[in-house]
Amino acid sequence: MSENSAAHTGTHRDIAAKSGDVLVSCRGLKKSFGDREVMKSIDFDMLAGDITVIIGRSGSGKSTLLRAIAGLTDPDDGTMTFDGEVVFEDSKRTPAWKQVDSHVGMIFQSYTLWPHMDVLKNLTLAPRKRLGMSESAALERAEKALAEVGMSDHIHSRPSELSGGERQRVAIARALMMRPKLLLCDEITSALDPPVAAEVLDVLRRLKEEEGIAVALVTHDMAFASKAADRVVFFHEGEIAVNATPDDAFNKAEDPELKKFIDAVRF
Amino acid sequence: MNYTFDWSVVTNNFPRLLDGLLLTVEISVIVIILSMIFAIPVALLRMSKIEVVRWLAQLYIEIFRCTPLLVQLFWVYYALPTLTGITIPGTISAVIALTLNLTAFMAEAYRSGFQAVPPEQVEAGKMLRLTRFQQIRHIIVPQALKQQLPVIMSLDISLFKDTALVSTIAVADLMFTANKISTESYRALEILSVAALMYFLIAFPASLILSKIERNMMETGNVRGIRRKSLAAQMAPGTKVEVKP
Repeated sequence: MSENSAAHTGTHRDIAAKSGDVLVSCRGLKKSFGDREVMKSIDFDMLAGDITVIIGRSGSGKSTLLRAIAGLTDPDDGTMTFDGEVVFEDSKRTPAWKQVDSHVGMIFQSYTLWPHMDVLKNLTLAPRKRLGMSESAALERAEKALAEVGMSDHIHSRPSELSGGERQRVAIARALMMRPKLLLCDEITSALDPPVAAEVLDVLRRLKEEEGIAVALVTHDMAFASKAADRVVFFHEGEIAVNATPDDAFNKAEDPELKKFIDAVRF
Repeated sequence: MNYTFDWSVVTNNFPRLLDGLLLTVEISVIVIILSMIFAIPVALLRMSKIEVVRWLAQLYIEIFRCTPLLVQLFWVYYALPTLTGITIPGTISAVIALTLNLTAFMAEAYRSGFQAVPPEQVEAGKMLRLTRFQQIRHIIVPQALKQQLPVIMSLDISLFKDTALVSTIAVADLMFTANKISTESYRALEILSVAALMYFLIAFPASLILSKIERNMMETGNVRGIRRKSLAAQMAPGTKVEVKP
């Protein structure tokens, strides 16, 4: 690790919750869209510094949970805490959410880099406008974030000049600019070729190991889940059917729906 | 045709025509700038989650899209003073009526552009905790403007030509001046031909630029950052076809 990134690591560790502490806790989360109940009283905990891989069929509620944690969707019922603060209860966000929301980053499946800005502007816009950072401080942070995802050479590129994997790595770097404690990744590799997807996932693993950033990742990449995940959560019809270590989930799976799902994904 | 052209009427009155043209350009520029600014809130109100606000914005847009510009111009110049008791000078009336009209059309162009910005890009802004205003200012508006540039330019060119209607409320624009000179000199053919040429010399280059922008956008793809090469370029021998979602 370079000297710069070592310094950066130190800063992240200063602000991150201690590894092993509960970072996110959800109790009784419910969400319906019309008559369709996509989350049926979800109880879910995430530890600081953990990688949690969330798997399940389309429409099983995985993305809705991520969006609820991110603050993009409000559940109909339930409570959520983030880093010890109650951020959602009585069907609404609490004032504490505004104090911690910048510690939650999210990366999406489709490439969400803003096409009318180069990579540098994509990275520095939010820190400058939202955190009030100076141009030089934002530049310095952007250079470090890009170095962490191996994209230093592309600081002045336009998103249209980048490949899919490069765009996702820049999207990760952009999320890092806000110094998140938690990165939520919603099928970020599903549009990528397997080798490129592996590179992107490797970036997430390094962020966990070097920066202590917790990652919640919706993916169908079972190889990554079995190698890098601390927990595997299997969603089925709006409920968490399995929440286990990768070994327990994949090698000792007893849940018939999980077995069927693993077989379907493998073949 | 037994008509002898006398172009001296044009040369003798050229400064007057230029003054008229200058006022036409001034009115056009002011109206375009004001409309481009006012259309942003109108487009946002048109997309409001509050139904009443949305309806009011739509009502404004439909009124100005579905009534003749000449009626709007007369209404502001003749009817509005009756309602308010305040007499508005012709040039100001013209600017008000034209701005209200162009804003309505421009707002619909903006709305279309705003809606074309992928929601994920706005959500990415939310996740970086940009305020709603910052999302609009830095993410939505620049992309919407770029995407709708051909429509906006086309509206602007139409507006420039439509300013000729302000001559009907005694605003001394190019059309009013040309009409006056032709009435004084009985040389309508020369004067109105030159007036038409003056309009053309401004509108035509703008139209050429518009065509070039449209061609460029078709060749290089839209503003979503997905650079679509032309089919011919993609099919060229040895070209690696890149598929980006």
